[in-house]
Formats: sequence, C-alpha cells, structure tokens
Amino acid sequence: MAIAIAASTCLGSAAQAQTDFPLTIENCGQSITFEAPPQNAVALGQNSAEIMLMLGLEDRMAATAFWPNTVLPELAEANAKVKLLSVEFPSLESVLSVQPDFVAAMLVTLLGPDSKVAKREDFHRLDIPTYLSPSACSVTEVSTDIYGARSELWTMEQLYKEIEDLSRIFDVAERGETVIADLKAREAALRGRFGDRDDLTFLFWFSSPSPEDDAYLAGGNGPSTYIADLLGGSNAVKAPSEWPTLGWEGIMATDPTVIVAAQVDRKRWSLDEAENKIAFLESDPIVSQMEAVQKGRIVVMPGAATNASIQTLYGAEEVARQLEALDLVE
Amino acid sequence: MARLALLTLVSAAVLAFAIAVATAIGDYTIGLGTVSLAITNGLGLTAAELPPIEESVVWDLRLSRALVAALAGAGLALCGAILQALLRNPLAEPFVLGISAGASTGAVCVIVLGVGAGSLTLSAGAFFGAFAAFGVVALLSNGATSGPNHTILAGVAASQLFNALTSYIVTTSGNAEQARNVMFWLLGSFGGVRWPDFQLLLVTVPLGLALCIYMARALDAFTFGDEDAAALGVPVGRIRLALFAVTAVMTATIVSMVGAIGFVGLVVPHAARFVVGPMHMRLLPACAVIGAIFMVTADIVSRVIVAQQTVPIGVVTALVGVPFFAIILYRARPKA
Repeated sequence: MAIAIAASTCLGSAAQAQTDFPLTIENCGQSITFEAPPQNAVALGQNSAEIMLMLGLEDRMAATAFWPNTVLPELAEANAKVKLLSVEFPSLESVLSVQPDFVAAMLVTLLGPDSKVAKREDFHRLDIPTYLSPSACSVTEVSTDIYGARSELWTMEQLYKEIEDLSRIFDVAERGETVIADLKAREAALRGRFGDRDDLTFLFWFSSPSPEDDAYLAGGNGPSTYIADLLGGSNAVKAPSEWPTLGWEGIMATDPTVIVAAQVDRKRWSLDEAENKIAFLESDPIVSQMEAVQKGRIVVMPGAATNASIQTLYGAEEVARQLEALDLVE
Repeated sequence: MARLALLTLVSAAVLAFAIAVATAIGDYTIGLGTVSLAITNGLGLTAAELPPIEESVVWDLRLSRALVAALAGAGLALCGAILQALLRNPLAEPFVLGISAGASTGAVCVIVLGVGAGSLTLSAGAFFGAFAAFGVVALLSNGATSGPNHTILAGVAASQLFNALTSYIVTTSGNAEQARNVMFWLLGSFGGVRWPDFQLLLVTVPLGLALCIYMARALDAFTFGDEDAAALGVPVGRIRLALFAVTAVMTATIVSMVGAIGFVGLVVPHAARFVVGPMHMRLLPACAVIGAIFMVTADIVSRVIVAQQTVPIGVVTALVGVPFFAIILYRARPKA
C-alpha cells in the first residue's frame, strides 16, 4: 500500500498542487477560512487521524483522540510519533493544552452543536479553524435522525471529498490526489471482481452485550450496506436504522448467505471479539441451524470498517478475500 | 446568633475556595498569576495581555463551569430539601421521583428521534420531559393530596416508565456512537456549559430559593403532617402545588443543562440538617451553600480523576450518594 502510493506520486497533476492561502472551504454548512497550512493539528476521531497520517502529516499533528479500534498497521509507525490524548472522548481543555492551530473531527459527538466535548464555536472564538467529516454531517440535513439513518447509500465519494479538503488545507494536494487515486483504484478493482447477484446477502454483526441480548447489527444506508453493495450483494437486514438491534429469531429469519463477524478491539463485551462470536454461532443449538453457519460461511472483518472511514474499504477487501476462499464468487 | 454568622462566613469562604481551585486546576497547566489576571481581565478590573487560549480556558471554560456547578448543586439540594419536607420522606429527591428520568427521555427524543430537531433544542426537550414526568407523578399520586409514600411509589413508577422509554428509543433507533452520547448525557456533564447557562441559572436558582424561604414556615408545618399543617392554618393543597411547581421548574432547568445528576438532592439536605437543624428558615440556605460546595468539588474530582478525559459527573455524585442512601435506609429501618 505504501509502495503503491510512492510509485504513483508522480501521477498527481502539478497544476493543482499548490494551495492559495487564504483558503476558504465549505464544510457542513459553514465557511472556514485558513490563513496558512496548519502546523499543529488535532485529529478528534480515528478516521480524521488516519487520513492525516495517510497524507504524511504526522510532523504537523499535535495530538489525536478517540480510537475505537487499533490504527491501520501501515500507519502505526507514523502514529507513534503523535501524542495520544485519550482513546475515549477527550476533555476540551486537554485539546486546547496542545495549542492546536486546526481541529478536525469525524463525529458530531466530538464537535457538533450538542457535543459535550467541544463545539466548533469554542475553537472559532480562538481563531482555530475546524473541519467536520462530511460523512458525519451529511446525514443531519436530510434526515430526522441526527446521527442514524441516511437517506442515501453512503459511498466513498464523501470520504474522497474529505481527503481532498484536508489535503488542500494542509497544502499537500498532490499527496491527497495520490491517496484518492489509490483508494479509487482499489474500490474499482473490488467492484470488477464481483458481479451483481440477488442471492448474496450479508449479515453484519457488530457486537452484543451477551448471547441472550439482541445483537447490534449494521443496517440502513451505512458503510456496511455499501460494502455489501460493492461485493455484488445486499444487506440481509433491511431496517432503515444504521445500527438496528435484533433478537436471534429475527436474525435467523433474514437467512443471510454470509455472516460477517466484526472484530471490535475495545474490550467492553466478550462478544466484541470475532472468535467469541463464531464460537457462539457454532455452538448455540438453535442459531447453529442457520444455513450460513452450517456451511461455514462466516467471515471476519475489523469493526472499524463498519464506520464511515478509510477502514471501510480495507474491511471490504478483507471480506472479499475470504469470500473467494469460500468459493462464493462466480 | 454568633454561631450562625460564623457558619455563614466559613461556608462562604469554603465555597469561594472551591471555585478558586476549580478555576486554577485542569488538564491545561496555567500559572496562578495568569489565572488571577484572566479573572480580573474578565471582570474588567485589569487589561493584561494574556495568551488568548489560556485566558479562554480560565474564563470561558473553568470559571463559567464552576459557577454553573455551584448553582446547579445549590438548586438540586434545595429541591431535595423541599421534596423531603413535602412528602415527609427522607428518600425524596428529583432523581428518585423520576423528574430527572423524564428530562432524560425528553432529551433523548430530541437527540435520537429528532422530534422537533432544529426548532427544539436538546435542553428544551429535557425541560418538557421533566414536566411530563412531574405530570405523571402528580397523576399517579392522585393529585397532590394522597400520602407521602404514595408519591414516592408514583415517582418510582415514573422513573421506571421514563427509563424504559429512553432505553426503548435508544435501542431501537440508536447506533453505537449515539448510545454512548446518550449515556454520557444521562449521567450528567458540565462539559457543554458556557456563560449563557450561568445567566439562566442565576435567575432560576436564587428566585427558587427566595420563594422557598418565603414558604419556610409552611414547610416546617408540613413535617408534622397535612392535618396538623392545616390546623395551623396552612393552605396545604395550594402551598404543596406551588412548591412542587418551583421544584419542577428548577430541576427541569438544571437537568436540561447538565443532564441527570443524581443524589445531590438526597445527600445534601441530610448533611445540612446535621449542621443547622430541621427548621427550614436555616435549612434551605444551608442546603444551597452545601450543595454548591458539594457539586463544585465533585466536578473538580470528575475532571482530574482520569487525565485528559472527563468522567461523567453523575458517576462521582452517585459514588458518594449511594453509600449515603444506604446509611439513611439503615437508620430509617423500623425499630424492633
């Protein structure tokens, strides 16, 4: 992956490489102006941090916070150079204590109008520009559900927009184009490998507090449904909500072709672990009767892929590899 | 009388000290000189050139937060004292009576369901929720006329109902991140408060305190029971309704701002009774001051207990409140 980016760096068009400052960006209904490229940025949320790291900005990052999963392996070395405030919600004071000149966030809970962590105005009052992920704020204007259901299927386009914006803000547009081109090529390659078919449905199981409890599944128009679509199939869960919960009777009724067990790295519940999910699926006398379980069609994917993020594509590639091993590809 | 003056002086000094500590410490290390200059700058007494971030952290984040905590603590403690007197039950407080739960449901309706999103803020949702819960408790306890235990039971039922509604909304429409956000909110947080919140509380809480002190003698009468109070010439029904309304307005305002912070209303009135005795003319101001000190201190703990991160304030108050609750239960057990 790193090699692919290095090799294709020369493909970026030189004409757009330089950003003219002051730069004004339209972001989530606000116009944000940058006098100069940030030198001391804070990334609130894993996806914002990973995009910055992909853009090679570790030397210009003051700190990161809020990491539900572990960092992508190829970014681990760069990430180690950046201060970690907290893997959870950080305090506003701790963010300000690193003297940021730019704050980017991946969720409205980290930087939205009702956020208990920080609001955009908190930073704007101090002349610190902010950026909120388009994937996070695009849903607010079109839906009655501030965070949940999307009216349209999430796609990588929102992510490409985010990478493009951030690369212009940091004046590394060329690097941004390279990253986008690489991701687009991988997305197209996946789409090409899997033809559309009606008989392929996926069940994305994020986690459960316990086997008896309803399971947190991925539904609606979220990133998991996008992964199913990319691989030629569809989401077995038709609920409009992005994270519906369903009992096992309801899950069995959806009769998915493939069960995707998410590997969630936080240690909240034992069923966060993919191997514990699989053990339950295979040992429960009723659930184990599902055709997908009987035929061993259980694949593992990082939980981070179910969030709108660059990890989504990595998750899709991971599922694709295992689908081919299961001989499910036509 | 001299003892009372001394108590007033000491408690004011302790409160001032707690607020000073709250403005001086935090994740962002700021020198004491800068802290005091930031405050005098803010008050318009000085015009020192300070780093804008540091000035903002002290003035906008820490001081506004400490003052909101003080008023919220005072208000909740006051509500606890009123409800305990009205219901003649040592366990009464807004949290137990389900008013906080109702506020949470109202807020969650706005966060999750987007009810009136845009036109209705989260705080307004919580405010309506608190009043709905108050209505349910009043309805279940047959107006405000039935016995004290009846109302507590009605409160327990209302708590269950509204907590169930909250859980239902969260689990059916929530996503993982949203559930976290809701949980954080349910446990209370001073993270989002700024100066406008302080201004609103500065009107609500002192006004509530004044109204309650005005009715202090009636409250004393209530502790002997409704019939005795009526015999003393207290218009029982009217006063009770008025005090319930004052309590509901104060609780709804506070909870809609900082979330459901439990047990302050339970713990503080009992502590205050130890210090100044049961007469409400003294008890109510004492509750306000002790509540303020308790909440400012609890907020300091919630900010420093985990570095770089804020623990929900409700966790801190409950860790103190629950053992206290147990002690009261134990003391209140029927003597064999």
